[in-house]
Amino acid sequence: MNILGELALWIALPVAVWGMVLGYTAGRTGRGDLQLSAERSVYAVFGLLVLASLGVIDTFLNDRFEYIYVASYSNRELETFYKVAGLWAGQTGSLLFWVLILMFFAVLSVWTNRKTNREFMPYVVGVLLTIASFFLVVLLFADVNPFQRLGFTPANGRGLNPQLQNYWMTIHPPTLYLGFTAFTIPFAFAVSALLMGRLDSRWIKLTRKWTLLSWFFLANGIVFGMRWAYEELGWGGYWFWDPVENASLLPWLTATAFLHSIQIQENRGMLKVWNMSLVILTFVLTIFATFLTRSGLIESVHSFAENTKIAFIFLGFMGTVIIAGTVLILYRLPQLKSENHIESFISRESAFLFNNLMLLGAAFSVMWGTLYPLISEGLLGEAVAVGPPFFNRVNIPIGLVLLALTGIGPVIAWRRASKRNIKKNFTVPVAVGLAVVAVFLAVGAREWMALATFGIASFTLTVVLVEFFKGTKARKRIEGEGWAVAFGHLVGKNRRRWGGYIVHAGIVVIFAGFAGSAWDREIRQTLEPGETAEIASPLGHTYALTYEGISTTQRIPDRNLAWQAVALVSVTKDGESLGTLTTEKRGYLTWESPITEVGIRSSFLEDLYIILADADLQNLVAFNDPAAQAATFTFLVNPLVGWIWFGGMIVAVGGLIGLWPEPGRVRGATTSAPTPPRRRPEPVAAD
Amino acid sequence: MKGNGRFLIGLVGVATVVTYLVWTGVTSTMVYYMTPTELVARVAADPTLHDVGIKVSGRVVPDSYEKRPGDNGPIHTFLVEDLEDTSVTFPVEFADNLPDTFTDSEAMIVDVVVEGRFQRDGVFHATTVLTKCGSRYEASAEQLANG
Repeated sequence: MNILGELALWIALPVAVWGMVLGYTAGRTGRGDLQLSAERSVYAVFGLLVLASLGVIDTFLNDRFEYIYVASYSNRELETFYKVAGLWAGQTGSLLFWVLILMFFAVLSVWTNRKTNREFMPYVVGVLLTIASFFLVVLLFADVNPFQRLGFTPANGRGLNPQLQNYWMTIHPPTLYLGFTAFTIPFAFAVSALLMGRLDSRWIKLTRKWTLLSWFFLANGIVFGMRWAYEELGWGGYWFWDPVENASLLPWLTATAFLHSIQIQENRGMLKVWNMSLVILTFVLTIFATFLTRSGLIESVHSFAENTKIAFIFLGFMGTVIIAGTVLILYRLPQLKSENHIESFISRESAFLFNNLMLLGAAFSVMWGTLYPLISEGLLGEAVAVGPPFFNRVNIPIGLVLLALTGIGPVIAWRRASKRNIKKNFTVPVAVGLAVVAVFLAVGAREWMALATFGIASFTLTVVLVEFFKGTKARKRIEGEGWAVAFGHLVGKNRRRWGGYIVHAGIVVIFAGFAGSAWDREIRQTLEPGETAEIASPLGHTYALTYEGISTTQRIPDRNLAWQAVALVSVTKDGESLGTLTTEKRGYLTWESPITEVGIRSSFLEDLYIILADADLQNLVAFNDPAAQAATFTFLVNPLVGWIWFGGMIVAVGGLIGLWPEPGRVRGATTSAPTPPRRRPEPVAAD
Repeated sequence: MKGNGRFLIGLVGVATVVTYLVWTGVTSTMVYYMTPTELVARVAADPTLHDVGIKVSGRVVPDSYEKRPGDNGPIHTFLVEDLEDTSVTFPVEFADNLPDTFTDSEAMIVDVVVEGRFQRDGVFHATTVLTKCGSRYEASAEQLANG
């Protein structure tokens, strides 16, 4: 299996190159036979990559430590679950995994377009296989071949980093990779449109769902990553503005901008150059993120490897894409003229544009802050770094403006909003927002950034709820349906729009969750068994935490652990018992230093988060010494963290609704004529 | 053209605001990022650097870690050496929880990035300690041979 896999990887490259050349040739000559052959190469490359990936998984499952990759990321005792996940545990495997998913999406795209949109496909296939060929060249020739062997077979592997042995960590990278690679499809269609000179909004209509799919996976991937950081890294937070986190946020920001700006092109025939630039930029950022995750170019809490050869290859590839994209756009500039222009600042176009600029501003500042050590060293000769305070300072204001636009954009009129339109739509939401701020002020809260967040969040949420209420009420009246049925039909009939609104509601909830961190509480204390620490919640009550002692276990059967030391803490809230929480230190078989597992008690309004910070592990584990029970704990109260996960779920539901096929609409049945400007535009999504 | 003009005004306006935010953000939160060699040399030359935030990236000196009891749990101390010139070291003190991947074991080389102030007592008082163990994630053939 592993030999077959390695062979498949080698065969995949010439097949991909062959298909790529055929694709471009078919695009130029219009020859159907070449096009068909190019499309079949897509299926073939995908099949070969499936074999290669199965080969890698096979080497993991059979503990084939003569392979460097397996020896570096696995050991005999590793749970099977994590052995399978070994495919994306390290740089080499991740790159294979990346191109595997890319080709999966390529197959999906070629298959769904086997009868329709044939004119786009030759170049689309050409572009997709160009990218695949690039990754295959890297895999085969840049010392990252997962089938590379050692000259000998070690007795055991060095094991997977225990911090990656976590449920969220097995789904977080694949989800992000799905998001990164799905965006390649809109990119390929955009380049195809540029090459063909077919520059109406057809390519956008064809790839709308792909863009949303990519956005959906990126959003979920980022939330899963936060969840992992919160549960596993054990410092009580979920986001550190770490280079790798930032790198995954960048394409999400520009993809969000793109999702909105394509609606202006579809409705008003504007922003064509802008959309082309955004699709290219977002694609480059997905590559940048893929590369940064695994390159260790900038230090990071989870930089995984250092391989400078790869850095240069990737930078070269990104540079080529940017230059080629710019040249193509310039070449087609005459055909990318705007059909309309903005008539008023107070209009939906304007709100969407503003949203785009803010998102790009956020992306720029995140990029700048992430690369600042490199930039300052290059320009000023002195390395200067910025950290979380910088990112918060810049991005909180931008985020708040965006949050407000989330409420304004969907209900303000196209072209030119009248005073009546504004008064009608915004009076109630503004009042609700102000009322919420007043309530917070009344109870004594003075954290003004958090107050602003709650005010704007309630404004935006009210807009969304009022829209749902009005829509449902209208349906109920016209169709004579009950509330629930009317609501279901309302969403079902225009999934893009209402799915988008649900996403907005989820984003609002997530922002409220972020704002909760303004009231975080933390104490660190050393306790003997029986002693109690107290921590006051910002909501007014007090938790009393009594340390009951640590119990230790040696060599747990069927688990990858050498020992476990579990601290038991009983919790009361204002004297009322809430049961117990545990937090532990674990010794992994293949890892020198102990790993902390935190204890979390989540409730709707706050999390109680406990960390076993320090204990006399040597005497506890080796000698079970009862005198060595004293332990240091960090206790945290994190308000509203649960809202982030809950908001993430709302976003996911809204995204799925938007992704679900519209009823009664045949794929590709829409005309390609540019949409004329309308006085009363069709409701469109504002996802 | 009218529309484009408006678009440009918006663009310039937003760009100005973002640039302002980034500029003030950088100037008010930036820290110098140095190697241990630079740290030792520059602080000796310019004592005012004792009072500013500095970020240093280096490597934990094997067997240099110790802990002593503090008011709120243990205070960690260890030495950090320059990646290139291991004769240059400086002591670090840290009163919060170390990341799990921190160790001073010789078998597992750990690169650290510490942020804090190199105070006049000659000790680097860190407010954050990050570890990066890239060398551990991707083991070399020799390391694999040694176990």
